[in-house]
Amino acid sequence: MSALFFLQQCLIGLTNGALVALMALGYTMVYGIIRLINFAHGDLIMLGACLALTLVGAFGLEAAGTATAGVATWLGIALLVGLCGLFCGLVNVAVDRLVYRPLRDAPKLAPLVSAIGVSFIFMNIGLFWLGPADRSFPQLLPTANLLPGEGLQFGWKDLLVLVVVVPLMAALMVLVKSTRLGKAMRAVSQDETAAALVGVDVDRVIAATFFLGGFLGGAASVIYGLYINTIGFQMGFQNGLYAFTAAVLGGIGSIPGAVIGGLVIGLVRALSTAYVGERWAGAMVFAILIVILVFRPEGLLGRRTKEKV
Amino acid sequence: MPILEVNDLQAGYGPITALHGVSFDVEEGELVAIIGANGAGKTTLLMAISGIVPALSGAVLYRRRSITGLAAHVIMRQGIGHCPEGRRIFSRLTVQENLELGGFTQRDRWQLRRDIAEACELFPVLGTRMTQVAGTLSGGEQQMLAVARALVGRPKVLLLDEPSLGLAPLVVRQMFDVVGSLTARGITIVLVEQNARAALALAARAWVLEAGRVTLAGTGKELAADPRVRAAYLGE
Ligand SMILES: Nc1ncnc2c1ncn2[C@@H]1O[C@H](COP(=O)(O)OP(=O)(O)OP(=O)(O)O)[C@@H](O)[C@H]1O
Ligand SMILES: [Mg+2]
Repeated sequence: MSALFFLQQCLIGLTNGALVALMALGYTMVYGIIRLINFAHGDLIMLGACLALTLVGAFGLEAAGTATAGVATWLGIALLVGLCGLFCGLVNVAVDRLVYRPLRDAPKLAPLVSAIGVSFIFMNIGLFWLGPADRSFPQLLPTANLLPGEGLQFGWKDLLVLVVVVPLMAALMVLVKSTRLGKAMRAVSQDETAAALVGVDVDRVIAATFFLGGFLGGAASVIYGLYINTIGFQMGFQNGLYAFTAAVLGGIGSIPGAVIGGLVIGLVRALSTAYVGERWAGAMVFAILIVILVFRPEGLLGRRTKEKV
Repeated sequence: MPILEVNDLQAGYGPITALHGVSFDVEEGELVAIIGANGAGKTTLLMAISGIVPALSGAVLYRRRSITGLAAHVIMRQGIGHCPEGRRIFSRLTVQENLELGGFTQRDRWQLRRDIAEACELFPVLGTRMTQVAGTLSGGEQQMLAVARALVGRPKVLLLDEPSLGLAPLVVRQMFDVVGSLTARGITIVLVEQNARAALALAARAWVLEAGRVTLAGTGKELAADPRVRAAYLGE
């Protein structure tokens, strides 16, 4: 039983971690391109969850919930992911345009404090949208186990996380590695002036980065609702904290780093919940963060050295 | 009719004004030089032409049309290339990726390949280093990459900011040979240099910048023979 139990916890950890990773990408991408820790990202995800809940009602998706998930349910979820992704992406672009872009040449502290301000504004919008109490997010997928036998549990919800997160991350990696936009993003992240001098529209590339980070956050918000089944106006804080920690753990600015950081955090959280007790899970995550940062201040995949000038 | 004309340009950084009304012009296909001591404002002048440093007053005309106040990428796309001071290559990308970024505005892949191959003909060492991460190139190779990257963008006018900085004497010769050969390819050159002797030898006309003002102007020959220039910039 114990080996199986361990495996089960790992499975839970990896699934949760994939969700954390999706949220972490928004932090790491924005940091990578303009060295801004976008504190509002967690609350942006919360706004995405608000929209998701509203849309579930509007589409009448609650009716689903038979033994197997029907095509209509999956299409509905795909639509939710697309719409909430679009929404969060556009809100993120708007915030960049209205708040961060005017502060581009200001001291680093100005956009940072503004990000905290935006975070509070989002939280208030969320409070208005959802009300002060936590809201339950409908169970759209059946609860049946997809694995044979009684041993390991892997349900439709776990599958959902993987079928959304894995392709999105793969697409992001391909985009950054081999598209024109991706090349421009890497150029801007290294030297904005040099990028502008080769003809890159720097503001547009930054806006595109905010859009992509926001889109992934919006997708994550839908998965979060469907997976955790409870949302509330304060959810952005804790989720943001874990996601940000994942980004730092992996090496902030590094996309594969955010993915690995998210998975590590998911695993640590699941294993410490199982073996040490749930109330210690948070402490364990941050203890590990501190230990890793002591030995590798740049994070697991971050860059160690400054490049030759 | 000059291809590029700078009229009474003022520019600076916040409270600091680095250029107090600078004027000069370049004819199409000409190579001109801007020389001056450290801090004279040479880099600021090129950055202001490129739209990186905003102009406070005055105008930059390209083919008679004002480009003052346009965004840097728009100015580049109109045909003004800029190889900035200190190389500023993308050090974590490969040589190949750096050159491809130089041709960022080139949508035709085949043309881009030809342009990269052409730039590598000028600096053969780059052709052998295509997959190397640019930050690990030697200083001289990085400088060549910076110039090659600007050339891949097919500039009509190329602003070169100290292309010989930090190069070994033999490589400096090679760099100036390349720079001198560019006008034959129809590229107009504005050359900023500490190495005043080599720059004046190449330049049809030149301007001396001191504390943000033009203090002397003339043909390259005239300035090279001018006693003030010889004393201040040629170390005689
Ligand atoms: N980013 C900046 N912020 C504030 N002042 C600056 C900045 N860049 C340059 N300056 C100032 O503007 C003036 C002109 O500098 P600039 O770099 O244009 O000189 P330069 O002629 O290129 O010098 P060098 O030969 O050393 O490269 C200097 O007094 C410099 O201190
Ligand atoms: Mg300079």
